[in-house]
Amino acid sequence: MTERRQGYWARVMAATFRRWGARLGLAWVAVLAFAGVFAPFLASSFPLLVLEDGEWSSPVLRYLTPADVVLPVAALAALVLWRLRRIPSQRRLLIFALLTSMTALLAWRFVEPPRIVVYEQYRQAAEAGRYQRVIWAPIPYSPQDYLRDRGDTGMQPPLSDPRDRHWFGTEENGADVLSRMIHASRIALAIGFIATGIALALGIVIGGLMGYFSGVADILGMRLVEIFEAVPTLFLLLTFVAFFGRSLYLMMVIIGITSWPGYARYVRAEFLRLRQQDFVQAAVAAGLPLPSILFRHMLPNGVGPVLVAASFGVAAAILAEATLSFLGLGLVGEPSWGEMLNQAVQSSSFNWWMAAFPGGAIFLTVFAYNLIGEALRDAIDPYLGKAA
Amino acid sequence: MLLEVENLAVTLGTGEHSVRAVDGVSFSLERGETFCLVGESGSGKSITALSIMRLLPRDALRACSGSIRFMGTGMGRAEDLLQAPEERMQQIRGGRIAMIFQEPMTSLNPVFTIGEQILETLRLHFPELGEGEARARVLAALREVRLPQPELRMHSHPHQLSGGQRQRVMIAMAIACQPDLLIADEPTTALDVTVQEGILKLMKDLQRRTGMGLLFITHDFGVVSHIADRIGVMQKGRLVEQGETRRVIRAPQHDYTRHLIEALPENLKRRRPPEPVASDAEPLIRLKDLEIHFPIRKGLLRREVDRVRAVDGVSLEIPRGSILALVGESGCGKTTLGRGILRLVEPTAGQVCFGDTDLLALDRRALRPMRRHLQIIFQDPMSSLNPRLSVAAILTEPMAVHGIGADREERIERAAALLERVQLPRDALWRYPHEFSGGQRQRIGIARALALSPEFIVCDEITSALDVSVQAEILQLLLALRREQGLTLLFITHNIGVVDYLADRTAVMKAGRIVELGETEQVINRPRHSYTQRLIAAVPRVDPD
Repeated sequence: MTERRQGYWARVMAATFRRWGARLGLAWVAVLAFAGVFAPFLASSFPLLVLEDGEWSSPVLRYLTPADVVLPVAALAALVLWRLRRIPSQRRLLIFALLTSMTALLAWRFVEPPRIVVYEQYRQAAEAGRYQRVIWAPIPYSPQDYLRDRGDTGMQPPLSDPRDRHWFGTEENGADVLSRMIHASRIALAIGFIATGIALALGIVIGGLMGYFSGVADILGMRLVEIFEAVPTLFLLLTFVAFFGRSLYLMMVIIGITSWPGYARYVRAEFLRLRQQDFVQAAVAAGLPLPSILFRHMLPNGVGPVLVAASFGVAAAILAEATLSFLGLGLVGEPSWGEMLNQAVQSSSFNWWMAAFPGGAIFLTVFAYNLIGEALRDAIDPYLGKAA
Repeated sequence: MLLEVENLAVTLGTGEHSVRAVDGVSFSLERGETFCLVGESGSGKSITALSIMRLLPRDALRACSGSIRFMGTGMGRAEDLLQAPEERMQQIRGGRIAMIFQEPMTSLNPVFTIGEQILETLRLHFPELGEGEARARVLAALREVRLPQPELRMHSHPHQLSGGQRQRVMIAMAIACQPDLLIADEPTTALDVTVQEGILKLMKDLQRRTGMGLLFITHDFGVVSHIADRIGVMQKGRLVEQGETRRVIRAPQHDYTRHLIEALPENLKRRRPPEPVASDAEPLIRLKDLEIHFPIRKGLLRREVDRVRAVDGVSLEIPRGSILALVGESGCGKTTLGRGILRLVEPTAGQVCFGDTDLLALDRRALRPMRRHLQIIFQDPMSSLNPRLSVAAILTEPMAVHGIGADREERIERAAALLERVQLPRDALWRYPHEFSGGQRQRIGIARALALSPEFIVCDEITSALDVSVQAEILQLLLALRREQGLTLLFITHNIGVVDYLADRTAVMKAGRIVELGETEQVINRPRHSYTQRLIAAVPRVDPD
């Protein structure tokens, strides 16, 4: 029987994804992850392959940034290692970390896209008939390709231009909306995961120490929690953007360090409960070192509620970034869903496609994380009673 | 005939997970008679009681078959409770049939006073009663259960009463409507023996006066032989034997009943005369004036206003290779004392000497290597094992920390040997705690304590959560281990039968102090201290004569 050998998390995951809501949520997140990882191959003004004078070449590769290289390599490595079940999971994690950091190091050292990018060059060359064969990306427009060769295009509703097929229309500078959305999914995912990751790490460590040591550590920790809970995230973000300019990393860090108190409260409560449990007392009686007691015996038993909160936290972080971009304080040049929403109402007329598609993407993403969080919570609940 | 259950069958759950919890049970109960359902956990005795009250989940009720015929006062003919409409059941429930449960704290609503709660049931069943009359009946009921100062106690909230008083309130609530049948589901299991004695006496007395039928559910044969006229033994949903109490206990017919009665600690084969533990053997553990006080802090500055004296000046010695039993009622500080010796709770004063080292003088770093010599086994086999770790990880991690075994393979090998020693299969190594039964988990707990080859083990009520037959196996295992490895045990328990079977010497604890300490045989048969005498007398024994 394989089911008997399953660990706790395998059972929780199975129970979570037995629900349709969670499956749909996961499917949408997977679509986003796929779009984010392979964005330059899905939407690019540079052909994937061209046959020029009897020689094949791949212009898209020449314009890849280091991040464009690292992400697909990491994703492929993760997929392959996930299928290799014979290697113990700790070693798999190690291989993955090593591989990814090596690629990152090499990519930042050697991959250097050209400084000046002329997006229309291949399109014009292809139209002039210089290539025997051209294979375009599914959406043959880069997010920052403002279609200068087409004249003053500006905003156009979906599929209105007979020459260029823009499935989701174009934005105010004439760039393709679908292409911008695909590239923006990378930011949405990154900000959600990294900001929540920072918050989780802080919250677990501080909450864990508060719960395990209680007493003075608890009193001080709770005051710190209260101070940080009183800080309004959005206004802090606005202030920082005003002072230090617009940076994705700054945003992640700020969202991260303002949202940890919630996690810290959860972890503290769980640790207070677990500290009295006999198996923790047994670990103390066996003379196990403190890190093992905290992170091997207590954390896995108390992390459930925190993970549920985290899946809602990812959604909140995405919303925060979208809000900031909507207010016009997001990243410059880089596409983002919130910034596109902003354009929907900016000009005198209401441009429905600028509202519907990015807005729909934000809605679906937040909804997906909420569905997963909901299912996770339900899956953890009965097991807490049975297994703990 | 008051109650006649015929061929009752209850199925819980649906589809492949369904369990036949009660399977063809038939018995009957007369007025003024006490019928006891006895059995181990999961045998279906509580489900039987709940189905008489029709308190089962809806889908389980639909799957009920058989008949439960009940004839109360004022009912012209017997009615089948399984067929009765819900409105009719509401009249019968509480009015004609009352029920009391094991845990009196959770069965009372904490936000209402006890007077209000009894009044509410009364009003429901006797709407014609006037305010004053109803109040008088509440008072009478509280007086009946001998709650001191009933006029005052009426206005108390449940948390202001002790466990025994709460159970008396539950009984008062049950008898206020003068039911024909009282169902008591393990009503004394959560109580101390001296309190239990009072409650049992009270129930017997009430029954004699009111002539109600009593369906009593318990797992304790001592209680059974005190209270029951007839008993029924349940096993896996079946009623395997029923008959006169004396007959069933003296001459059980069914194999299972015989097995249960033989497993009682007082019936286990005496290992005496004990292997001579030289009484002049040098003590392994020596406590001197040990104090564990918990400060009560109040106010903004958290000033210490008072102290809870959980352990208050305990001195005792445990010779190497002997078993000392520590008995006492709940809240007497016996668990705190056990944990204080291991410094799981920090003692506030005194000495704990292990051999020649004073454990209390060591700092945390110096204490850690000492920990391998002193281990603990816990009461609750559910919470004492980390549910996220496999048995192999649970057993090998402490070994790795203390440098036992050269590498992982050797430690795994040792762990497998330990499991075999506690009579578990080798493949249990790769399973997780939730896959085991309570008794098996307790064996894993023992294996974990043995993993470090300790010299001294604190056993904190380790058999209290187990069925008698499992308890017997665990006790025999402990004795065998003691013999093989020369272990020294501090055995904390409230079960006098277990003490008698197991311990060389016995200490009786009350309110943080040891009131009597001596050879087990002497403490149990010729107690000197008045508290010990009371405690021993309150223990319900099988076959009182």
